[in-house]
Amino acid sequence: MKILIVEDESRIAKRIERMTRDIFGDTLQSLKHIDNLHEALNFIKNSSLDLVLLDLNLNGDNGFDMLTTAVSESFHTIVISANKDQAITAFEYGVIDFVPKPFNRDRLEQAFNRAVTKEKTGDNKIKLLAVKKRGRIQLIPIEDLLYIKGAGPYTELFLADGTKELHDKSLEKLEQLLSYSFERIHKSYLVRMSEIKDITVESGSKYMAELKNGGLIPIGRTKYKDIKAKWL
Amino acid sequence: MTSCSEDPAIFKENRTVFQIGDHPSWAKKVYNDSNWESRIKLIPEGQVFWSRTKIDILTAPEEFRPYGLQIDAYGEYEIFWDGVLIGKNGNPGQEAELPLEGELWLTFSIPTHLTTEGKHVMALRLSNYYFPDHVGRYELEIAEYKDLLTDLLIETSYMHVFAGAFFIASIYFLFLFLSNKKAYSTLIFSICCLFVFVLVLTVFNREYLSMHYSLHVVRLQVIHTFLLGISFLIPFYFSIQFPYPRQKLLLILYVGILLIIFLVNHHAYDFTVVSLVLSMWISSFGIVIYGAYNKVRGARLVLVTLLFPIVILLATSFVTSLYAGLGLILLGMLYLLSLRIKDQRLAYEDSLLQSTRLRLELLKKNIQPHFLMNTLTSLIDWVEEAPKKGVLFIEALAKEFDLFNQIEDQTLIPIAQEIALCRTHLEIMEYRKEINYSLEEEGIDLEQKIPPAILHTLLENGITHSLPLEDNSIKFKLIFESNSDFKCYSFLTFASTSLRQATSNREDGTGLKYIKARLTESYHSNWEFTSDSTSHGWQNTIKIYS
Repeated sequence: MKILIVEDESRIAKRIERMTRDIFGDTLQSLKHIDNLHEALNFIKNSSLDLVLLDLNLNGDNGFDMLTTAVSESFHTIVISANKDQAITAFEYGVIDFVPKPFNRDRLEQAFNRAVTKEKTGDNKIKLLAVKKRGRIQLIPIEDLLYIKGAGPYTELFLADGTKELHDKSLEKLEQLLSYSFERIHKSYLVRMSEIKDITVESGSKYMAELKNGGLIPIGRTKYKDIKAKWL
Repeated sequence: MTSCSEDPAIFKENRTVFQIGDHPSWAKKVYNDSNWESRIKLIPEGQVFWSRTKIDILTAPEEFRPYGLQIDAYGEYEIFWDGVLIGKNGNPGQEAELPLEGELWLTFSIPTHLTTEGKHVMALRLSNYYFPDHVGRYELEIAEYKDLLTDLLIETSYMHVFAGAFFIASIYFLFLFLSNKKAYSTLIFSICCLFVFVLVLTVFNREYLSMHYSLHVVRLQVIHTFLLGISFLIPFYFSIQFPYPRQKLLLILYVGILLIIFLVNHHAYDFTVVSLVLSMWISSFGIVIYGAYNKVRGARLVLVTLLFPIVILLATSFVTSLYAGLGLILLGMLYLLSLRIKDQRLAYEDSLLQSTRLRLELLKKNIQPHFLMNTLTSLIDWVEEAPKKGVLFIEALAKEFDLFNQIEDQTLIPIAQEIALCRTHLEIMEYRKEINYSLEEEGIDLEQKIPPAILHTLLENGITHSLPLEDNSIKFKLIFESNSDFKCYSFLTFASTSLRQATSNREDGTGLKYIKARLTESYHSNWEFTSDSTSHGWQNTIKIYS
C-alpha cells in the first residue's frame, strides 16, 4: 500500500499516520505526509499511489481544486475534513469515503476497508467523473455516461454523445463508485442498467445486452442470470 | 388688499379730490369741488384737509340690511356720507396735542335711506400728522355691513388655522431637532414654519388688532423682516437637500441680493415683497431643478410644489398665490424631511442589524467547524497520547472561550484583552500545528481600546495562510504608533514566503470583511485598512483617524 496524507494540522497528520501504520501493518509500502497543496499536487503527479487521505481546507486554500485532481487519478481518495457540509459535494466528485473530524481509529479503518476491499459506496451518489484531458481536468456528468470498458489498468468511458474518454481508474474502482446505477455485466464492461434495451441470446450461448443507442455489449456467462433478474 | 364683496356691482368709485382747509359745507352732497386737487404731495404739521369722493350706488340695499363702508386710510378723520356724519376715527387736526386715537382699518355703517340708487358723495375731514407725504391713498369697499364684518372674520380665521398648523409643525420639528442636534435641516424647517406662522399672523390681524395708522410702517417692517428670513431659509434648505457645486459662494451671493432688495427702496413696500418672493422662488426653483436633473430622491415632487404657485398666481391674486405657495413649498420641504428621516431610520435599523451580525460572527469564530473540529481532533490525540499536555490544551481552550464570552457583546474592548485573546489562540494553535508561534508587542498603549477580535482575525489569517520558517516558527508582531492625527496598529507576520505564488488564491474575504465592518461600526469612515505581502511575510495596518 502506498499512501499519501495531505493535512496541514501537524498533530492530526501524526494521528492519521500513526493509525494508518497500525491498521495496515506490514502491507504498508510507503506513507508520506505533505502539509500544503502545492507540494501535494507535485507529489501526486510524480509518484504512484494507492490511496490519498485529503483535508479540504489547507492553509485557507480551496481544497476542491486539489480534490478534482486527486479523483481523476488511478487511486481512491478519502476526504478527512472538519466541514461535514462538504461531504455531499465530495461524494459527488467521486471520493470513496468522507471521514468527518474528530475521528477515531475505527472510523478510519472503516474508510480504509471501503477503499481496499471492493465494498460499494452505498447511498452516496457520485455525480461527476474527473477526466484528465490535454493537461487539464474535465468534469463529466455521470448522466452522460452509457458504459465503461476496461482497458488494462485504465478504462474507456463511452458517453451519450458518442465520444469516448480515458480514465485513470481501473474498472474495479469505478464499479465501487458507480454501483448504485451501473452493473458489471462482463469482466470488461460496466453498464448503466437503465440503458439496456434488450437482452438476447445468440448462437453459441453468447449473451448480449442491446443498448438504447443500438450498441451491443457482451454479458459474462456467469453473470447472465443475475443481470437478467436485475434488469427485469 | 382683498376684495370681500361677493357682489361686485354694488357701487362705482369715482375720482377723489382734495383740498387743504376746513369748512362744514365741504361735507355736503352738492358742492362744487371742481377746483380741488386730485393729488397733494405734502400736507405738513397735521393740518386739516378734506377729501371728496363721488360714489355711484348701483343697487340699493334690501330693507334692514344697511350697507357698510370699509376704509383703510392714513390719518385721523371724520367721515360724512351725503353731508351726514356717519363715523369718527380719532381727532383730526389735534393729533399733535391729543394722544393717539383711532384705528387704521374701520368699517362704518351707512344709513339705508342714504344709499338709494344714484350718485352720492363720501367726504372725509382728515389730518395726517405722521405721514404728511402719504395723502389720500386709501382702500375703499362698500358692501352689506354684515357681510363686510363676516368676510373679514372668515378670512382671518382661515388664515389663523393655516398659521396654526405651521406653528404646531414648528414646535414639533424644534423638538425633533433638540433630540438630534445634528439634523440642521429639521431646525431650518422648524424656523421656516415659525416665520410663516408669524408672517401670516402679522398680515391677517385686521379683524381684531386696533392699530393706529402711525404704527403701520412698523407692521410692514415686521412683515418684510420675516419674509426676508423665509426668502433666505427656503433656498438654503433646498441647498442642503440638493447639493450643488460652489454652494457657499452662491449662497453668500444670494444673501447679498436679498439684503440689497431689503435695504434699497426701503419704503416701496409692495416692490420689496414682490422682489423678495420672486428671488426666493427663482433660486429655489434653480436648486430643485438641479436636484431633479441629478435624480435626487424627492426633487421632482418638490418641483411640482414649486410650479403650482405659478398656476395659482395666474388664476388668482399675488397674495393668494403667495400664501398658498408658501404652504405648498413647506409641504414639499416636509416631504423631503420625511424622506430623509426614513433614510436615517433605515440606516439605523441597518446598523443594528449589522451589529447583531458582527456579534454572531464573533460568537461563530469558536464554533465554526474548521476551528472546533480540528481543535477537538487534536485534543483527542493529545489526551490519548499525552494526557498531561492534553489537560493544558483544554485549559488554553477554556481560556479562549472565556475571553470570547467576556467580549461577545461589546463594540470596543481594551487592547490588553485583545492581546490576551491572541496569545491564548496562539497557545491553542501551537498544540494543533506544533509550530512555535510567538507574538511581540511594540509601543502598546494599554489605555487604548479597539473593536473585539480584529487583531485575533488578523492572527487567524496569519496562521492559516503561512508556512513556518526553517526553524519551524512563525512570528507575529504588533506595533502601535499614534500622533495627533491618527492611531496606527501594524500587525506583521514573519513566515516562509516560498509558497506564495502557489497559494495566491486566498479565501480570506470573510475575515477582512469582519474587520472592516467592525471598524466602520466604531469609527464610521475615519479608518484605513491595508493588507499587503512583504519580503518577510505579511503586513496589515489599521489606521484610525481622530
